Amino acid sequence: MRLILAIWLGKLILFLTQFLKKGGGSAAPGLYALKIEPNLVSKLSRQIPQNIVITGTNGKTTTSRMLNHLVKSQNIKTLRNSTGSNLERGVASTLIASTDWLGQIRDFDLGIWELDEAAFNTVVFEIKPQIMVFLNAFRDQLDRYGEVDTVVKKWWESLEKVDWDPTLIVNGGDTNTATIHAVNEDEDNPLKCLSFRVKNHVLWHESSISLHEKEHSNKKEPLYAEFLAIIKKNLGLLGMVVSIEYPAGKVEINIPVPGIYHIYDFLAAFCVYYLLKLPINNLQKDLESFSPAFGRVEHIKVSDKDVYTFLIKNPAGANTVFETINPELKAGDRLLVALNDNLADGTDVSWIWDADFEILLGGKSIKELIETHFDYKSKPKKGTLFSDLKDNSKLKLEPIISGKRANDLALRLKYAGFDDKNFKIEPNLEEALNSATKDLDGRLFIFPTYTALLELQKILVQKGHKHQYWKE
Amino acid sequence: MKFSLTIGHLYGLQMNTYGDNGNIITLKKRCEWRGIDVAIKYITYVDEIKEGDYDLYFFGGGQDQTQALISRDLTGGFKDQVKKDVEKGVPLLSICGGYQLLGAYYQPQKGPKIGGLGIFPIYTTASSERMIGNLVIDLVSDGLEMIGKLVGFENHSGKTYLTEGGKPLGKVVKGFGNNGEDGTEGCVYKNAIGCYMHGSLLPKNPQLADWLIKRALEVKYGKKIELEPLNDGLENQAHEGIIKRFVD
Repeated sequence: MRLILAIWLGKLILFLTQFLKKGGGSAAPGLYALKIEPNLVSKLSRQIPQNIVITGTNGKTTTSRMLNHLVKSQNIKTLRNSTGSNLERGVASTLIASTDWLGQIRDFDLGIWELDEAAFNTVVFEIKPQIMVFLNAFRDQLDRYGEVDTVVKKWWESLEKVDWDPTLIVNGGDTNTATIHAVNEDEDNPLKCLSFRVKNHVLWHESSISLHEKEHSNKKEPLYAEFLAIIKKNLGLLGMVVSIEYPAGKVEINIPVPGIYHIYDFLAAFCVYYLLKLPINNLQKDLESFSPAFGRVEHIKVSDKDVYTFLIKNPAGANTVFETINPELKAGDRLLVALNDNLADGTDVSWIWDADFEILLGGKSIKELIETHFDYKSKPKKGTLFSDLKDNSKLKLEPIISGKRANDLALRLKYAGFDDKNFKIEPNLEEALNSATKDLDGRLFIFPTYTALLELQKILVQKGHKHQYWKE
Repeated sequence: MKFSLTIGHLYGLQMNTYGDNGNIITLKKRCEWRGIDVAIKYITYVDEIKEGDYDLYFFGGGQDQTQALISRDLTGGFKDQVKKDVEKGVPLLSICGGYQLLGAYYQPQKGPKIGGLGIFPIYTTASSERMIGNLVIDLVSDGLEMIGKLVGFENHSGKTYLTEGGKPLGKVVKGFGNNGEDGTEGCVYKNAIGCYMHGSLLPKNPQLADWLIKRALEVKYGKKIELEPLNDGLENQAHEGIIKRFVD
């Protein structure tokens, strides 16, 4: 009865928020309904035949969107928390919107739930998913989550308490999530595990060395099925061709978006697709029609000029974006970088000093310049996967620097080797965009933080350069 | 005469979160812009330091788990030279976790005390309160007060208290500082500074960066040194911008 009451209340709030156009109804219905029926998520989600949860710092939305697109193309009916609302209330809101008035969920084959790194530890026991995906664990807004070590340790602790029989999919190329393999070994009845990685590429975290040493020094090599992507060809801003070796075979795929991180996201989706026993041969065609998550990589035309937007929100994500852009930069191109410090961006902007803006110019990051006398055997070589970085220091890039923290960002670029004589500092984003597109010869690359991206989308729609504000 | 400096980055491979590398970048660039040769080296577990190896030390923040391991190394005698160098006047900048580990000890919520190197007369206790936000201080320490204010960003749950003879770096204008209780921030001993200021600290406080470089050169070459002034327009603008937005 409580469940029905909670659903009715939730549906009422959903109706009101949509009717009054106050927010998209992605959090409030769940928030209040959970107060009436705290077990709402477990009662509703377990009616869905299969559930998948996806967690990690970067790529949750892209991965679940990509997966959703691929499985829907195979006529699987999916349900997912689509608007980036990845706490329990977001999951609850989606379920409330999809259930009938009596609390029955019908007509869905698969639930795809992206979960915040911390929310994972509670919500996973509500959903009890058949598949769990761990994408990566980077430093991201530490002021909100505590520390990366703790995030990974909490995942282990949660996995040790798992009393059903899920399959884990972990990023074996991330030195933090790779430790999750080890959970496998602990039990008499080990969790099944799939691991994916990109050949010759490691997402390296120095801090995870201690995790490995301390917790796993006495453990045997864990067993898992491996999915390996080998990069065959870099198509620049058009994406790349990869060959994927998986337990039953090998397939060549053209990933139509740039950036190494998209290979990881795709691999995660591929592993799920494989577990669901869907036909691998159909993947390529379906992937072609995939558009990446809102704004994370976006190409539009402004007065016939190409404008590319890449979200940057933490050092690891920013570095992969910079590695993608470095070989692309040409004379006449411009950069617009915007840094905000709103809650959704993280109020601490220190992270820009951990992001290697030097990569854009082809310079060395500070970590590479510091001498060390001992050999880090597994430390990967820096540079892009495809080639050495290109020297862009002679290009007159004239960065336009914007956002609430434009001053901090300007300093960062100066110390990264950009010539500050060519800086335009314009905290107002609309002015910055005007200035960036005025008399533009080449292309414009925009790197905004999260709230700057939202603001930018609004401006582009108002100016008629884009039709839709939020494409979900 | 061509000057040169060697900067030792204490446990830089383990302790490098919260943008503290920005301090290293800043020291390096500001030396290079003046034609001062600079080498930066990581100092890690078990590394023994010899007299004269380093002219300036940096010790940043890191994750709790790593700090216990570092404590064992620090208290195991491997880094006693750092203490001797500081006595001699070699400048040092430590932040957050690094600052705590150079005090007497850190008392976690559970478990035994984590020993420090004992350079600063301070101790730190864990609290359940996370002190996060922009931090602005007035410098009160002798020889530094002419710099005026420092701006940074703090993020810690450890509360640090000065013990007898401990001199604070500054007085909190905005934020929590050492413990959120007594209005002090950081500690100074000779030319060694400990504080809770991430941000990164030195890019937006170029005068402090130059103070460290100048002191390092003076101790190394044994004479008074004046640094060539740099164009700090952007640096000062960023510094003032924080004060304007969060204090005025």
